[in-house]
Amino acid sequence: MYFTIPAQQFYRILGTLALFISILYPAAAQQLTGKVLDKTTNSPLIGASAVWKGTTKGTSTDAAGNFTLQLADAATPEIIVSYLGYKADTIAVSGKTAVTIALSSTGSLKEVVVEGQQTRYSALTPTNSQIITSRDLEKSACCNLAESFETNASVEVTTTDAVSGAKQIQMLGLDGSYTLLTTDNVPALRGLSTPYRLNYLSGTYIESIDIIKGMGSVLNGYESISGQVNVKLRDPEKTERLYLNLYGNSLAKFDANLNVSAQVSPKWSTLLMLHSDHLGNRVDRNKDGFMDLALGTHHNVYNKWKYKHGDTWVSEFGFNALRETKLGGQMDYVKGEPVSPTQRYGTESETDRLSFYNKTSYTFPGRPYQSLGFISSGVHHKFNSLYGRRQYNGEQNTGDLRFIFQSIIGHTGHTYKVGASFLYDDYTERLEQTRLARTERVPGIFAEYIFNNAENLTVVAGARTDFHNLYGTVFTPRLNVKYDLTPNTIFRVAAGKGFRVANPISENTAALVSNRAFTFREELEPEKAWNLGGSFTQYFELGGRSGAFITDYYYTTFQNQVVADMYSSANQVAFYNLQGRSFSRSFQAELQYEVLKGFDVKTAYKYFDVQTTYNGQLQQRPMIPQHRFFVNLGFATPFDKWRADLTAQYFGQMPLAYMEAHGGAANVRKSDAFYTLNGQVSRAFKRLEIYVGGENLLNFRQPNAIIGAHDPFGSNFDASMVWGPITGRVIYAGMRFKIE
Amino acid sequence: MKTFRNLGLALVMFFATLSVQAQNSNEKTIQIKTSAVCNMCKKSLEKTMAYEKGVKKSNLDVDSKMLTVSYDPKKTNEDKIRKAVNDTGYDADDKPATPRAYNKLDDCCRKEAGAH
Repeated sequence: MYFTIPAQQFYRILGTLALFISILYPAAAQQLTGKVLDKTTNSPLIGASAVWKGTTKGTSTDAAGNFTLQLADAATPEIIVSYLGYKADTIAVSGKTAVTIALSSTGSLKEVVVEGQQTRYSALTPTNSQIITSRDLEKSACCNLAESFETNASVEVTTTDAVSGAKQIQMLGLDGSYTLLTTDNVPALRGLSTPYRLNYLSGTYIESIDIIKGMGSVLNGYESISGQVNVKLRDPEKTERLYLNLYGNSLAKFDANLNVSAQVSPKWSTLLMLHSDHLGNRVDRNKDGFMDLALGTHHNVYNKWKYKHGDTWVSEFGFNALRETKLGGQMDYVKGEPVSPTQRYGTESETDRLSFYNKTSYTFPGRPYQSLGFISSGVHHKFNSLYGRRQYNGEQNTGDLRFIFQSIIGHTGHTYKVGASFLYDDYTERLEQTRLARTERVPGIFAEYIFNNAENLTVVAGARTDFHNLYGTVFTPRLNVKYDLTPNTIFRVAAGKGFRVANPISENTAALVSNRAFTFREELEPEKAWNLGGSFTQYFELGGRSGAFITDYYYTTFQNQVVADMYSSANQVAFYNLQGRSFSRSFQAELQYEVLKGFDVKTAYKYFDVQTTYNGQLQQRPMIPQHRFFVNLGFATPFDKWRADLTAQYFGQMPLAYMEAHGGAANVRKSDAFYTLNGQVSRAFKRLEIYVGGENLLNFRQPNAIIGAHDPFGSNFDASMVWGPITGRVIYAGMRFKIE
Repeated sequence: MKTFRNLGLALVMFFATLSVQAQNSNEKTIQIKTSAVCNMCKKSLEKTMAYEKGVKKSNLDVDSKMLTVSYDPKKTNEDKIRKAVNDTGYDADDKPATPRAYNKLDDCCRKEAGAH
């Protein structure tokens, strides 16, 4: 059963609408009507989207495959017609009033993402999604995933501690471990790799990034709580034959990236991506006796293969290997210094990681809406690290299998996906005398139903049941609703549950760079949270240039959380299960507009209220600013020959949990409010592009980033209370060389 | 003989540039029939031309598939411009598109998608 309007009533509504529009646009009360069909079967496609090219004005087809667009909304005489599982098409409609469009199937599992010229907030997805395109990626410094988010307002990038300088992402004011990271829609860099995972994907590996705020699909597991970041890696079939990126900055950190791709046979293509970075220069600009950034060498290899057989079989294979060594601490610390009373403080780490994945999909011939997908992945991750005199080692072995069947009920207004999954996770960690180990075996089943009324309503309802060998049956329901009040005014609601088993030590590595003792008060339970949120998107056109206003609000409440309590006791970080409330309220309002041709402005305001019950007392979580502002100015000359970008951010005061003894326990202080400014200019030639930029141009540095720096083995030492930049201004330059 | 050959060349030139706008001494204009089918093709072709050495300006008329390019003959020539069109994935007059470049085109830019 689907929702229909009697023809008479439909025409009456249409008539009213036309009348309404003719009042608004007296000069152009004309329409374009069309019909969208499947190329092979000639059956109408219901819920296909038709959008005026270069605008966000569009509609979707009704139960008979018909649609109507207003000519007044057109920017160019072309429309883009797209549909899940089909190849999107651009159709010239100049001088026409009626068109028939036949779409052919793509034979792939990937969902079609149609982007308007300037809209980075997708108008079509049922979730609140944003896209960081490769053009956006080139705007920020090179070469890891952390920097990719710098020109984006929804994801925060924070420094974890003052010794390693590692960066983490936050969404909705919640730690990065609550965000599911996927590469090509396969869960990646989970578990023990979470604290440093952003370093493990080079920016040059990435084609684009999709950011989904709030609850997403159940297909990728039960873990996401605050959102999902999907990194689309470069496609072996479509990417450049050669891509070389070299980068160097004023701290003497160097990056080299090389991508080489080849079409091996008509069916097979491959892509080899290499990344190396190295910092060997000890820098101490804040004169606290500690290196501002840990020294390190990182080598990363990613090899991707793609197999395509007609419209039916598509398969992708990926292999990744990396090795990273880091050394931080006091300026004259020497690797492997023996324990002694006069020893200097240092941190060391060595990480090895191997992973692979495969994605294979089969599309039934003549039934482009019906497909089978099989996804498998495996990871081996091992590290040895030293923090002062604390040894912390860990190993993770993971295997993940998933099987998805996708089809329709009657017609494409009702689609569904069902499947089964199996997750194997084996963890071993040792911190000094504490040994943590667990093996998870989790078979699960899931289903997702998508209703599309072909006009303005999309409902995605999904649920999964997993049978966890340690924690019993886990039920995870999720719901996404998208309602288009008009093609330019879109409401979305997302609600659902998330579940994850925390890795308390690795998620709080920062606290290892202090003299806080790690205390486990009880057996820790898995984390469970509900997330409910909604967003409102308004696309508009002003003076012939497009813009968008987006506002959203999300509320996350934890049923259980592993609390990392640094408040209650000055020399401890205590881990225990949540007793009482823990929640996050996040509000964001963002405005994007092309002020002048080639000149884009993005501004955003964000409010976070994140509180957790620490020892019976509800308190603000440390190091989350309540107020933040974000402004990004982007300028480009035609064909992007010259580009300039400037991003300014304001961070409000943040509560801190200092451990200085004289303040007594629960010594709550606040950070300073501060601004950061990043900028970049690039010039493109035919194959070469040169860029110069600066991070933290205002040269703001957190004062006393390391507490008790003069006595690192004393009881006051704490390098984990990092709320601002450590390194000060960094100037960088680099080049990109491409052969198509 | 020489005069004849020059005359012949001039005639060819005349026909080749029949529909071309006025040009100054160090700028020449060429029209190339391409296999471009949509506005996205227009954008990528014009972008390629913008980065091509010696090219002053270019314009693709999507309906007629005609690409008009003004260029500095001291810096480039017609063959190079056609090759640049081929390497972007489109036919240029009788020269076919480079297969790899063509395969990388977006679905809607492929000639089998037909004029749309």
